[in-house]
This record gives sequence, C-alpha cells and structure tokens, in this order.
Amino acid sequence: MTAIRCINVCKTYHQGRDEIKALDHVDLAIDEGAFVCVSAPSGGGKTTLLNAIGGLDMPDSGEVWIGDTRIDQLNKGELAELRLRHIGFVFQAYNLIPVLTARENVEFVMEVRGVPSVERQKKSREILQEVGLEDLEGRRPAEMSGGQQQRVAVARAIVTDPSLVLADEPTANLDSKTSEGLMDLFAKLNKDHGTTFVISTHDRRVMAHARRLVKMLDGCIVEDIRQKGT
Amino acid sequence: MGITFRLAWRNLWRHPRRTWLTISAMIFSNAVLVFMMSLQLGTYELMIGNTLQFLTGHMQVQAPGFKDDMKMRQVVNDIDALAETLRDQLKLEDITPRSSGFALLSSDSRSYGAQILGVDPEYERRVSIIPSLVKQGRFLDTREAPEIVIGEVLARNLKADLGDEVTLLGSGRDGSFAAAVATVVGIFHSGITDLDRGIAEVPIGFFDDVFYMQGAGHSVVLITPGFWMIEPYKVRVEELIEDDVVVHDWDALQPGLKQAIQADLSGAMIIYTVLVILVAFSVMNTQLMSVLERTHEFGVVMSLGVKPARLGWLVILETTLMGLGGLCLGAAAGGLITLWFSYNGFSFPGMDQMAAQFNLPQRFFPQVTLLSLCLGPTIVFIGSLLSSGYPALRLFWLRPVEAMRTV
Amino acid sequence: MNTAGIVMRLAWRNLWRNYRRTIIMLMAISIGAWAMIFMIAMLRGMVGDMIRDGINALPGVVQVHHPDYRDDPSVENLITMPSGEIESVFKEAQIQYFSPRVRVPAIVTSERASRGVTLVGVDPAKESLIQAVGSNIGEGRNLESVDDSGVVIGHRLANKLETSVGKRIVLMSQDRNNEVVDRGYRVIGLFTAKLPAQEEMFVFSGRTVVQKMLGIGDAVSEVAVSGPDYKLVEPLVQEVRQIFNGSEEVLSWQELDEYLSAMMGIIDGFVFVWIVVIFLALSFGLVNTLVMAIFERVREIGLMLALGMRPASILSQIIVESVFLLLIGLAIGNVLAYVTMLMLPAGIDISDLADGMELMGASDVLHPTINVKDIIIVNTFVLFLGVLASLSPAWKASRYEPVEAITKV
Ligand SMILES: Nc1ncnc2c1ncn2[C@@H]1O[C@H](COP(=O)(O)OP(=O)(O)O)[C@@H](O)[C@H]1O
Ligand SMILES: [Mg+2]
Repeated sequence: MTAIRCINVCKTYHQGRDEIKALDHVDLAIDEGAFVCVSAPSGGGKTTLLNAIGGLDMPDSGEVWIGDTRIDQLNKGELAELRLRHIGFVFQAYNLIPVLTARENVEFVMEVRGVPSVERQKKSREILQEVGLEDLEGRRPAEMSGGQQQRVAVARAIVTDPSLVLADEPTANLDSKTSEGLMDLFAKLNKDHGTTFVISTHDRRVMAHARRLVKMLDGCIVEDIRQKGT
Repeated sequence: MGITFRLAWRNLWRHPRRTWLTISAMIFSNAVLVFMMSLQLGTYELMIGNTLQFLTGHMQVQAPGFKDDMKMRQVVNDIDALAETLRDQLKLEDITPRSSGFALLSSDSRSYGAQILGVDPEYERRVSIIPSLVKQGRFLDTREAPEIVIGEVLARNLKADLGDEVTLLGSGRDGSFAAAVATVVGIFHSGITDLDRGIAEVPIGFFDDVFYMQGAGHSVVLITPGFWMIEPYKVRVEELIEDDVVVHDWDALQPGLKQAIQADLSGAMIIYTVLVILVAFSVMNTQLMSVLERTHEFGVVMSLGVKPARLGWLVILETTLMGLGGLCLGAAAGGLITLWFSYNGFSFPGMDQMAAQFNLPQRFFPQVTLLSLCLGPTIVFIGSLLSSGYPALRLFWLRPVEAMRTV
Repeated sequence: MNTAGIVMRLAWRNLWRNYRRTIIMLMAISIGAWAMIFMIAMLRGMVGDMIRDGINALPGVVQVHHPDYRDDPSVENLITMPSGEIESVFKEAQIQYFSPRVRVPAIVTSERASRGVTLVGVDPAKESLIQAVGSNIGEGRNLESVDDSGVVIGHRLANKLETSVGKRIVLMSQDRNNEVVDRGYRVIGLFTAKLPAQEEMFVFSGRTVVQKMLGIGDAVSEVAVSGPDYKLVEPLVQEVRQIFNGSEEVLSWQELDEYLSAMMGIIDGFVFVWIVVIFLALSFGLVNTLVMAIFERVREIGLMLALGMRPASILSQIIVESVFLLLIGLAIGNVLAYVTMLMLPAGIDISDLADGMELMGASDVLHPTINVKDIIIVNTFVLFLGVLASLSPAWKASRYEPVEAITKV
C-alpha cells in the first residue's frame, strides 16, 4: 500500500570547502494514490528529494523504495527501465523535445517502450483530449505557450499509466491562472487514474491543492500536514 | 583595438574544443601542404637538374628546325668559331660545340644503331657529366683521333670491350654514305637506360671527317652560372648569333620535362585547392556557429548602439587569431615533418621504377624552403578569412529586437 | 526494445534544426567526395590509358623470347618459329591471338638521312603491334601478307628521312654471321601513333622478307600472346609456358615493363593516401559539427535519459545523425562527380602537355574512368571513418548524467 518509502536518506553536496546537506536524514512514506505536495523555499532540497525518488540521482546513504523495489541499489539500466515503466516526470522547464510535435512528445515514452503505433496513437489522442490540447497535437514546443507545453509534459507523464508521477516545480514558469488550471488537471488525473502524485513547489496557491503537505527546510522535513480534500 | 582584441580572444576560448578542432583542421592541411610542396618543388629541381646535366645543358644554338627534325644538314656553320665567339663575348667558358648523327655501330659480332655525337673533349667536360661517368677506360682527349666512347648497355650489346674496334655506318651531311672505324677507349654508365643504350661520343674533328661536316656542327651547348641566369644569357646569345641560327633554352629542348612538371602541378593544384576549400568550410561552420549562438548577445550590444561593422570586424578578428594559430602551428608541424624526411629520405613502394623514368634518385630528400613553408599555409589563412566573410556579413542583416528574442 | 523508429526520426529532425550548419557540412562532404572520385577517375584514366598504350606498344600481354634476347636483342638470340603443330596447340588452348615476329635493331637510310630504328617483321594477319601502333595508316596501305616486301613507317620518321610513300629506303642490320646486311624497301604506307616516339621507332615489313634478309630461316625474335584481359595474365603465362616448355623465357607484361606495373601499384597507394588525407581534412569539421550539435542539446539529451531512454539509444541517435549527414553528402558528391564525367565525355584534351605526358608514358587525351570498385571504396571508406570519428562525441553524449544535463543552462 506504500508507494514510496524513504528511510534515513542523506545527500551532501560539496561546493568548494562548504558542505551542503541537500537531504538530511529524510524519512518519508507516501501511500498509493496520494496527492502530495513537497514545499520548501528555493534551495530547500525539493529537487534533490524528487530526483532521489525518481532514481535520477543516488542518495549518499539511506534507502529509497518504490513499491517493493529498493531503487538506490539498482544499476543505471535498471533505473532507466524503472523510470520508463513506472514513473512519469514533469520538470520545471525544457520538458519537451524541441524537434518533436506535441503528440510525438506524448508518444515518446511509449515509443521507446516499443508500444505499437496504433495503440500509441489511440492513447496519445485520448490523453491530449484529457488535458485539453487535442487541437494542438501537430505543433512543436516552440509554437506553444508555457502552459500548453506543461500540459503536454503532463500528458506524456501519465500516458503510460505510471504508478507515480513526479512533478518538480511544474508551475514555476507559469502565471497564476495557468498554474491553477494545471493543478486542477493534476488533481483530476489523480482522482480518475488513481496515480500517486508528488509535486514540489514553493507557491502557496499550489500547496492549497494538496491533501498532504510536506514542508522542508535545508534538507530536513520540518512539517508533515494532512489537509482535508479541496 | 584593445577591447575588441580582448573580446575576440575570450570568445575563442568559450568553446576550447571547437576552436582547437578548427585550428587542427588548419594544422593538418598546412602540414600536408608544406610537406607536399617541399617534396614537389625539390623533385622538380632534381628532375630538371638531373635531366639537363647529361646532354641538354641550359640552352643550345642550333639551325632552325634541327630541334624537331634533327636532320644532318640542318647545321650551324663554322661551329668552332661560333663557340669561341660566344665564350669571348659572354665571358663564359662552359660552352661546347657538338655534332650529331645516327649510325650503325658494328663490332665483330653485333650491330646496333646509335646516336653518334661529335664532341670537343676539352669543353664537353664543362657542359656534360657524361665524361665524368666513364667507368672503364677514359674519355676522349683529342679532337681528331678515331676513338669512341659508348654507353654501358651499348657496349654489352655490341660485345665490345676497351680497345676493340667498331665500324660506323651512316649517311653524311650531304646524304652520302659515311663509314669509319674507331677504337673504343671508354665506356660510360649514366644509369639512364636510353643514354647507356643509345649514345656514342667521338671527337668532333673525327666526326667532321666521317660525316663530311666541313667545319659545321649541329649545336652549341651552354651552361650558365645559375639556373636563374638562363633568361638574361639567352637574350645576350640572341644578340650575338646570326640570323641563320636560333637559340633554344632547356624547356624548348626538353618540352616533356616542363610539361610533365606542369601536368604534375595541375594534379597537385586540385589537391591543394580541395584541401583549402575543406578548411575554409570548417572555419565557416565554426564562425557561423559562434555568430548564431551569440545572436542574443549581439542583439543586446547592437541595441546599445554598436554598429554591425564593428561586430563583423570582431568575427574577422577571431578568425584571424585562429588562422594565425593554424598558420604558425601548421607550418611548424609541416616543417618538422619535412625536416625529418630531409634527413632520413622519403620513398614509397614502386618508386624505383618511377624514379628511373624521370631521372630521379631512389630516395627523395625534400628540402624545406621559405616558399614551400609559407605558400600553402598563407593560402589556407586567406581562404579561412574569406570564408568567415559569410558569418560576418550576416550581422548586417541582424535586427536587434528580433535578435534579443532568440535564446 | 524497438526504438529504431524514434531514433531515426529524432536524428533526421535534429539534422535540419540548424540547417545552415548542415548545409555547410554537406557542401564540405560532397566536395570531398567529389574530389576523391574525380581525382581517382582521372588517375585511373591516365594509368589505364598508359597501360593500354604501354601494352599495345609491347604488345602482347605475354611474350616469349630467347632467354638472352631482352638483354641482347640481336639476331643471335632467336627462338624457333612455332610450327603448324604449335599453332594448333595455341588454338586448342583458346588463346585469342599469338603472333610471331622478328624484331631487330636496324639503321634506316634514305637519300637524305639515317636513323636508328627497330625493324619488325610481322605477319599482318596475326599481328596486333602494327594494328595497335599504326592503328591509323594515314597514307598508302598496310602490309598485306607475311611476304609483303614493302615497309610501313611512321609519319614522323618519314618526315625526318624526307621520304614518302612510293620512295625507297635502305634498311641495314646484321645477319647471323655478323655480316652487315642491307636491303632496299619501298615505303608503302605511313602510320600515325599515339606516342610520337613510336612513330619514329618502328619500321614494319613482311616477316618472311625480313627473315630472308637476315638469313635466319624461320626463326623469330619473339612470340607475343594476348588474352582477353590484361589484368588476368598469370594463367595465360602458365599456359604459354606449357606450350613452349623449352628454354624460352615466357614473361608477362608486368615483368616486361616494370615502370608500368610499378605505376599500377603507385596509383593504388595514391588512391588510398588521397582518400585518407581528404577524409582527415573533412573529419575535423564533422567532429566539430557533432560536438556543437550535442553541446546545444545537452538538456534534451538529459531529458530523454531522465525519461528512461537508454544511453545506447542516445549514442545511436547521434551516430545515425552523422550517418545521414555523410550519406547525403556522399550522394551529392557522387552525383557531382558523375555529372562532371558526363560533361567531359570525349576525354580531356591536354595536348598542350603532350610531351610531358609522353615522358610519363601517358597519352595526351585523358579519359577519366569511373571504377565501380573505386566508388564503393570511397563511399564505404568515408562512411566507415565518419562513423568512427562520430563515436567519441556520441559516446560522451550518451554518458551524460541526466540530472546534471537537464539542469545545465
Ligand atoms: N549539483 C550540485 N552541486 C552542489 N550543490 C548542489 C547541487 N545540486 C543542489 N545543490 C545544493 O543542494 C541544496 C538543495 O538543492 P535543491 O534540491 O535543488 O533545492 P530546491 O530544488 O529546493 O531549490 C541547495 O543548497 C543547492 O545549492
Ligand atoms: Mg529545484
């Protein structure tokens, strides 16, 4: 029932002589189907935490579990496979491959996984409709607004039915109205697909959408609040 | 200048790898060019020198048409007197008269046709190296004696040895039958099969008797003190000679030589041009990249009021710096490689046969000269500068507002 | 995993992202390929002509001599004429043609001048030397039979001797007893030859006439044998050796003319060096382009890695991009080279340099020759080396750490 479990995770960066504790003995468990917001001021360790959970980066010590798999001991190939099959990513910016159209971007992960093209098309059309971009499927990223680009990224993240979607400050480059729309989309997808969402942000309005709010400061979890549904 | 120069320098090292790759392309091409040109120029000089030293000399005075037809009656009258006059007037001793004809040479057991040259033993030595190539016996030493010096292959074919007598049969200046007997006094070995097989030399006086030359000869051969003095000497000789004779310089006498060089040069020109073009494209590509990636930056600077020309100069200056690096390093690399070969020699499989065809030694020793060192790299440098013109000119079409929008 | 489709699509689109850079690089590659193919075609043409002319001048790709003849090409060193029996053996061995000839040094004398020449007694029906050398009988007629007592000489020789068709000349040589023999001949025809030297060197007459003059019975100096392909000469040598199985020396043209066969080797070597030099000059630009392309796309590469694309797919994506670039460039280069050849259909007239080309043994019209083998070599070589040169940047790109790459500004 636990989707993610971090046990005593530490990550230290060295910058010249300084030691920066990006993650300082983090313990965290997230249930399946949860909708969690990780909030911290800039430099608080959000990205580091999400990268550790997503298998993009290795913690120095501690354990990271995704379901029954302990991922901090996997090799690169296994991690790539894990990301491909179980995790969807939405980054702050530069989410899309510039030479591919919106639909091709959505299909990218499926294509790398070897999903047949008929199925790919069907799914990507459905998802683009779900995120409200069915008219823009032929556009390249440069021809879309920031909000539209992020929606495409979201569509790509959920199209393969991952058990977990990690979104690192997905609204940082968006205006507040677009941000609201994106968060509504996340919430809707969470409800409809039962996918676990972990979203990092330092935007208060975004935090308000979360059922659970994990607050960090300087690499430590300082507060873990369960809010009543929105 | 100061700030532009500093900007250019720093810009180059924004992408050290790219800059080095571009410079490497120049170094490579320059090194190839320096080596090939050194080899080529050195080879041509050898080819010319080695070919001319046997018989041709630097120029010859002949009857008109003799060069092509080589007819016995196309003579220079009073050839000794002409040679003497030329020696006097030109203050040059390396001038010799020569007569030439064809004859059947017969020994006891064999007969072969050969070109018979009537030479003046005293002066022939100053003009041709054949006298010094006599490996058995001696060269001729009088102007009259019935003696003959023949090439090694001819001697072998005739089965003739020193002291043997050979019979000469041919036709004289007037077309009449000419015959004589001469004693083999020397056998020369030039290493050039055509000469060793086909040339025999007799004293010019004896030749005169046998072929009824009546004081005439066929050519006066001159060697000037230096290869670069041929032209002025030729002009002098033209003033001194009568209208019934002409003077030909070596490239008229050996047209094949100059043309073989030209043919080789035109082949090489294609190679050189292609190399320069490829480097130019490499530079153009690099400079275009560096302009494109700075579009935003240039937009900002231009909106502050800097003129496009100034930015264009910046690009040219960057290319110049890169080009100078390639020029110096490339010339140095090429020079060093050539220097190494100039001590150790250079050869390739099959060169023996080719060398023999062109009177060349079996190993080349390329010489680094100022010309071969600078010519190629300079052209590459100019080519690079020209090719950066396109990226530099693009700046004139740049609109600051649009430029600043690009990331 | 079936990522071939997406890898190709990404590589192709990325190629045209910075189309200016791609076009510059394409120009460089196609000029390089053009230069390789064109130069090789010119060389092959020159050497091909050279060898054909050289073999024609021998001619006979295989020759049979008395063992001493080559060192001492006199009337003493003869071989007995292949009898009728041997003739049938030749026929049986399906040897295309063989021609026995007498070939001795001689002096030719006209009323006005003398020259050293090579007197060749031939059987015009079998002879290819006279056909090859004197393929153009410009004036008069050719020899008609083995006992034709006229002579055919070159135009240039006729000019130097100041003689012409219908006039008499005297040929002097030596008989078996070392006596000088001479005989008058009537000039019946003048030939022109590709190489001027041949026009001055050869004097042809009927074989039996020359044999009678020299008093050598039916002995000959050489038997020339030719086959269908001058490159496949070794089996022919073996066959001829078997026919003669005596003391005669049987040599192929490579052994007869070392300069020619050396030139073949030199040209092959040169072709190789030329390809490598041009490629190296190109490779800096190629690597540079790829390095730049990767540099611009670090973030995307990081993104693809983060999404779970395998490093191997990133590697192949870059390699495929480079292969596309090379293939297009090569294709244009090949077409350019082909068009250049089409524009010079009759060969390049370089008769200004005729004497120089003669010194090299080549003729004054260049016929560029495109060899399928050379085309294949050039293209595979460039492609192979190009991929090799792209490996290092591509490998680097595939080794990026996704997190670092994606956050790179
Ligand atoms: N590659 C790195 N090298 C050095 N320090 C780093 C690196 N990545 C992150 N950090 C440091 O680790 C801390 C946490 O960073 P991060 O997780 O990116 O914070 P956030 O995403 O909350 O802004 C910050 O102080 C940051 O400076
Ligand atoms: Mg962050």
